[in-house]
Amino acid sequence: MPAAAPPSSAPLSPVSPSGHAHTAAVSGAPERLTLALPKGRILDEVRPLLEAVGLRPEAAFDDPKSRALRFATNLPHVEIIRVRSFDVATFVAFGAAQMGVCGNDVLMEFDYPEIYAPLDLGIGHCRLAVAEPVAEAQGDDPSRWSHVRVATKYPEVTRRHFARRGVQAECIKLNGAMELAPSLGLCQRIVDLVSSGATLKANGLVEIEHIADVTSRLIVNRAAFKTRHPEIQDWINRFTEVVSHAA
Amino acid sequence: MTDSADEAIAAKALLPAGLRDLLPPAAQHEARIVEQLMADFGRHGYDRVKPPLIEFEEGLLAGPGAKLAHQTFRLMDPVSQRMMGLRADMTLQVARIAQTRLANAPRPLRLSYAGQVLRVKGSQLRHERQFGQVGVELVGSLRAEADAEIVLLAMEALTNLGAEGLTVDLTVPTLVPALFRSLNLDDATQRAAREALDHRDAAGLAAIGGAAAELLGRVMACCGNAPAAVEALAAVELPAEAEPERQRLATVVDLIVSAAPHVQITIDPVEQRGFEYQTGVSFTVFARGVRGEIGRGGRYRTLAGEPATGFTLFTDTVIESVPGPAPARRLLLPHGTPATQAQRLREKGWDTVAALEPLADDAAEAKRLGCSHLLRDGWTVEV
Repeated sequence: MPAAAPPSSAPLSPVSPSGHAHTAAVSGAPERLTLALPKGRILDEVRPLLEAVGLRPEAAFDDPKSRALRFATNLPHVEIIRVRSFDVATFVAFGAAQMGVCGNDVLMEFDYPEIYAPLDLGIGHCRLAVAEPVAEAQGDDPSRWSHVRVATKYPEVTRRHFARRGVQAECIKLNGAMELAPSLGLCQRIVDLVSSGATLKANGLVEIEHIADVTSRLIVNRAAFKTRHPEIQDWINRFTEVVSHAA
Repeated sequence: MTDSADEAIAAKALLPAGLRDLLPPAAQHEARIVEQLMADFGRHGYDRVKPPLIEFEEGLLAGPGAKLAHQTFRLMDPVSQRMMGLRADMTLQVARIAQTRLANAPRPLRLSYAGQVLRVKGSQLRHERQFGQVGVELVGSLRAEADAEIVLLAMEALTNLGAEGLTVDLTVPTLVPALFRSLNLDDATQRAAREALDHRDAAGLAAIGGAAAELLGRVMACCGNAPAAVEALAAVELPAEAEPERQRLATVVDLIVSAAPHVQITIDPVEQRGFEYQTGVSFTVFARGVRGEIGRGGRYRTLAGEPATGFTLFTDTVIESVPGPAPARRLLLPHGTPATQAQRLREKGWDTVAALEPLADDAAEAKRLGCSHLLRDGWTVEV
């Protein structure tokens, strides 16, 4: 190439997009859709819904021994991830998963503006409640409280709940076994999910205040809801239909 | 150098949360994107203004600015002894300019701006506390044509940058409040309804019961791709008070579609978060696969009561939606290359890097310095 020759393409002109796969995803094969599901109790209740909306996960999904975290489905572009309930909300809020299932307890705790919760799946029924030792509950007058110390997985919900009635809540964040906290003197009260109340009873605790009823919701990422609307809406409709039939 | 000395230097690299250094080629890439957007705005008749970084707090936080009060860094002006705020948003500064120093400029007034803003806290999706805003304000027109011009300009400028998979989501944030008024909802019900609408929570909305749940539910269902969603909204029986809002939205969608049929439009009549001070058609720009918003805008009134509309693009998310920087086309000039020859090569379009001493292995040196080409015996050679 002679010295005088200009560069083959003008240096200031933008190159063609390097993200070639991205281009193909927009125009050709359907873009990947990730559904985030919570591990544990709720998963058993979600499982029949998946079949009903036409999603068949690979066999490893039903194998409790499987260490896999991502699972293919009968639809090549749809995959399922299995994470903790709180992380479902985070994955969906950040758009790493476009849809998910999590309880409104988690949604209340995070209050992510990036999450839409268009459908109550009517599963995972339980409640968020304040509990304290039976002995404590007798002769306790909650209207005289100015400050409470509470062990909980839900510090935001707890703070808001008590602040509404003028009580300052000092929250000790625990990730499980809340029921132990009062008996070992960590604090007097807990805020936790209650379903039958058996765990509370076994630990000498009694439910003293109801904060909210909890069910699992179908959640979707806001940006995905806007940019992939027909597709996401179609999934919402399928779940809606299945849930209304079940009801 | 000892390990502890290394550590001492490394520790100096720590920046406060949400702040960062942009390095090559990202810094240049960002600057080019901003300049290209501003040039596009200029071609549409928008003139650039440059407000200062810091203003008196009472000016910066007046009216709609109040919602940014908790996001604004403040400092005391030792000279005037008054409290100053570091801008957390440029829109209000430009609106202030329009209604003060440019109050007598002919309307409609078209202004553009680009600059950095600083916020006390990052958001869930944007951890950055400092980021760039590039935008325009169109002041002094109530016409639907003004609403459409703003949306079209945002989409065209982004498309010119090579952004792909763009979607513009249109809303009228005044529609739901108009419905609330005509339904005579009490405060508690309004709060519950608002929360359900914000989460698109059909069950929560149904729980408020009555005609309100029914009507709001039908309006909420009218989201999705235009024109189908616009037609669905047109079919809902709305109270007279909400009619102008719906009509305006439909008109603006029509104007956009006829001017730019390829633009992907969705509508979402109950979208209101972050549009609390908007008084008419507003919008958010998304791109497939990009987390969060590329930009947002809409109609408002200036403090002087003048009708205005505009939008802001966020440079950090714009960058995520456009192709990466072009690879450098850099030419390594051997030691002693005559200045006139180097000048001529730059005029031809090369970026040149001069060797400051004679080189044993020019190809290796070119590679080491990130040059794509080198000059050897008067010829440009690809490395």
